[in-house]
Amino acid sequence: MTTSVDIVIEICGSAGEGTISAGEVMTRFMSSKGYEIVSFDSFPSEIRGFGKCVAHFRASTETVLAPGKYTDVLIALNDAHAITQLSGLRKNGVLIYDSKPPVCHEEDRSIAGWAEPGMTAYGIPMLELANKAAGNAKGRNMVAIGAVACLFGIAPEEMTAFIERRFKGKKPKIIESNIDSFLLGYEWTKTHVSKEDPYTFKGAEIVPPEGEKTIMNGNEAVAMAAMDSGLRLYAGYPITPATKIMEILSKRLGESGGVMIQTEDEISAAGNVVGAGFSGKRAMTATSGPGFALMGEMINLAVMAEVPAVIVNSQRGGPSTGLPTKMEQSDLSAAVNGGTGDSPRVVFAPRDVVDCYAITCLAFYIAEKYQTPVVILLDFYLSNSIRNIDKPVPPDAEMCSSNVFPADEALDDYERFKITESGISPRTLPGMPFGMFVDTGLEHNTYGKPVYDGENHLVMTEKRYRKFHTMQAELPPAVETGTEGEVEIGILSWGSSSGAAEEAVRKAQEKGQRIASFHCSVIYPLPEEALKAFSRRCRILVVAELNYTGQYANLIAPVLNREVRRLTLITGLPMASEDILEFIGTFKG
Amino acid sequence: MPKDDHYVIIGNGPAGNSAADTLRKEDPEAKITLISDEKSLYYYKHRVPLYTVGGCEPEDLSIRPYRSYLENRIRLRLGQRVEKVVPAEKLLYLNHMEKVHYTKLILAVGASARRLPNHAGFADHLYCLAGLDDARRVRKAMMAASRLVVLGGDLISMGFAREARKAGKEVVFILYSSLFWPVSLKEEIQQSVTKRLNSLGVKVMSDAEPVTDVRPEGEGYTLTLPDGEEMSTDLVLSFFGSVPNIRFLVGSGINTEKGVLVDHLMRSNQEDVYACGDCAQIYNPELKDYWVSVGWGNAEAQGELTAMNLLGREKVIDYQPKEIFEMDGVTIRTSWWKTFA
Repeated sequence: MTTSVDIVIEICGSAGEGTISAGEVMTRFMSSKGYEIVSFDSFPSEIRGFGKCVAHFRASTETVLAPGKYTDVLIALNDAHAITQLSGLRKNGVLIYDSKPPVCHEEDRSIAGWAEPGMTAYGIPMLELANKAAGNAKGRNMVAIGAVACLFGIAPEEMTAFIERRFKGKKPKIIESNIDSFLLGYEWTKTHVSKEDPYTFKGAEIVPPEGEKTIMNGNEAVAMAAMDSGLRLYAGYPITPATKIMEILSKRLGESGGVMIQTEDEISAAGNVVGAGFSGKRAMTATSGPGFALMGEMINLAVMAEVPAVIVNSQRGGPSTGLPTKMEQSDLSAAVNGGTGDSPRVVFAPRDVVDCYAITCLAFYIAEKYQTPVVILLDFYLSNSIRNIDKPVPPDAEMCSSNVFPADEALDDYERFKITESGISPRTLPGMPFGMFVDTGLEHNTYGKPVYDGENHLVMTEKRYRKFHTMQAELPPAVETGTEGEVEIGILSWGSSSGAAEEAVRKAQEKGQRIASFHCSVIYPLPEEALKAFSRRCRILVVAELNYTGQYANLIAPVLNREVRRLTLITGLPMASEDILEFIGTFKG
Repeated sequence: MPKDDHYVIIGNGPAGNSAADTLRKEDPEAKITLISDEKSLYYYKHRVPLYTVGGCEPEDLSIRPYRSYLENRIRLRLGQRVEKVVPAEKLLYLNHMEKVHYTKLILAVGASARRLPNHAGFADHLYCLAGLDDARRVRKAMMAASRLVVLGGDLISMGFAREARKAGKEVVFILYSSLFWPVSLKEEIQQSVTKRLNSLGVKVMSDAEPVTDVRPEGEGYTLTLPDGEEMSTDLVLSFFGSVPNIRFLVGSGINTEKGVLVDHLMRSNQEDVYACGDCAQIYNPELKDYWVSVGWGNAEAQGELTAMNLLGREKVIDYQPKEIFEMDGVTIRTSWWKTFA
């Protein structure tokens, strides 16, 4: 009797073959059944063509925090592309391939020919069955899902019901052909294939989800949180992997009275956001590395003019246009230190979909209260990763309105940039009687008028930095997991790599290691005391992140003031717990 | 040899592996591929009976790990069946729809279970033991079985009977003397075989063949003997030796009879196509006829020799097969034979 199940499935095909949509159907279905899901899609930057698409997801009865590095089941919709995924298939993994392609493969071009001993290869005539079901090849992906359902114990009636729900609103013929393709794949496999592998969902002990659940990815969580936080303006220019945020808001922001503007470029988008922030409206933009680079000056303006702005940067491989559809965490330095002059800005990096929602709500609160740009660092994986989460609780009124207004008596001689102990200068909004002020990118005095002397510049710079000390009390604390007290190894990570670190710690602990993980969704201001305290209890410190130079390690080095071991990967894939375990496995002594 | 030579061996038994190793040793640069429709790594066939009764695990059967093929740069394609050979184009078609080009081809496909024509009506109810896939099925069936009937036999049947007895199974052996494989049992040898089986606690029936029917009944089977008498059992196993796996060669232009016909240098009638091991029928110029051999040692020797011939080092097969049959303590001495029984 199966109880605990943890299976990593990968669907690999060519752009336009329905690879990603097949993955989405599977992940959303499994999630709806109560499985813990972590998913990751990879696709070419070209809209359509011959590029490789991979839908990778992990379905588990246990809590899972990272995509598995190694695949248990690989479904090849395109042999040439899928061959390159074979290195990630477990030695006892399952390969499902199209056994009746339109023409015989040339030598070494068939994935079945590369299956290693120990692997189980199932040939399914996907194209033939799809043609039979719908008269064309489009249903190959659904035939494959049918085969998967049969081989791994998924009830066909549950899946067909789900497909009907998922495709609701589409033409009946489309729904019918998808279901027919699925059922044909299921029945053919049932009749012709003898199961030889050990993987199954049958008998999985799923804990029924408590409370109301919702399935969403990181981008959806950010968009939803922004609307729940009172977003009034979204300005942006489409770019992978952030475009989905814009797509959602373009459809839904109007319902709550907000406006979505597609600007001519990212400079304009950031300018719109700063302008709206200046006028007292909550505003946001979302972009990726190349767009973020263009926004630099507007973010600097927001720093100097002390204007709230929320900027989402869903990171991809860089520099420049780089690797548009690959995963990387390499914009951290640009986010924290990318401004000219002493240009502090808040930088958050949520760890998962739940955190995306919470951090986005917090970002609006902090930006408005502390009159500062807040950068939210997502990444390609987090943006697209689908999770089944508790329905988020919308922010309360205090969170949705955090501007610090001046007292009436302060308006007698209103100093917009008044020097205060907290660094926060109470802010009027345009139109408020007696609240007029000058705001500029030039250094200014407390009234906002340009002043260039060094003494004033020092006072103002100190004020701007002082806000970052003040806000510390309102920022979420660092999260430590694993062994308490002194440990052999401590793993620091950030953003979406934190799930892998936590999972690695759990696995290492199960093997008796004294090990702990540290994560803080706040990148800047640095949680210095928490970092130091964690460092003190670790004999070896590891910083695990997805960039070449170790940008987080470099950022925290002055705080830690000790040697750290850097796990830096730029494979284009998210961090997996196996990456960390394999790295610490190389330590001697 | 040009560096783009591709030597392809079909068969992952002793002949195929011996040929592959010899080729690698003698030609370090060549591309070598070994294809087998069996999914298992090269394994000890004589341990299969022990495996069927749960006396060892699959890893105990393995002769060499996959790693050793990688280290020797031998591409191992397991679970891949060659559907068609086209010697004129030096091309193979695999069952999963892939073409493989060769410059030289060695057929070392071995043999599969021989089934008797007069058992065809109930063949579905008989378990065989020609390979590891068969063994897995037998092992699964054996777990619930306490009484077995063996029909046959052949080289492996006695080892199986011994292991089954050790595992506490009741075994009845219906001896088909005239169809014993690879040679019919003469009176004297039949007595030795019977004596040996009896000493293992196996009940031998030498006058009960051929069985005329096997039908499922309840959880087991009922056999009908020639005299109409019926016998109940949990499992019926068929051991009648093997026949070369050469059906896929039909239409290829490669000459076959019961096996692949090759000359004294193991060459078939088609250029650059060789055969060795259990699937080959080898021409003996002195006899002016083809002879066959069975057994592990012969297969290994032929694999090596075929590889040498393929490389142009002409080596003529020794007409004295090196093996004498050792069947679980019963020895059958023979030097060569012209055909399978």
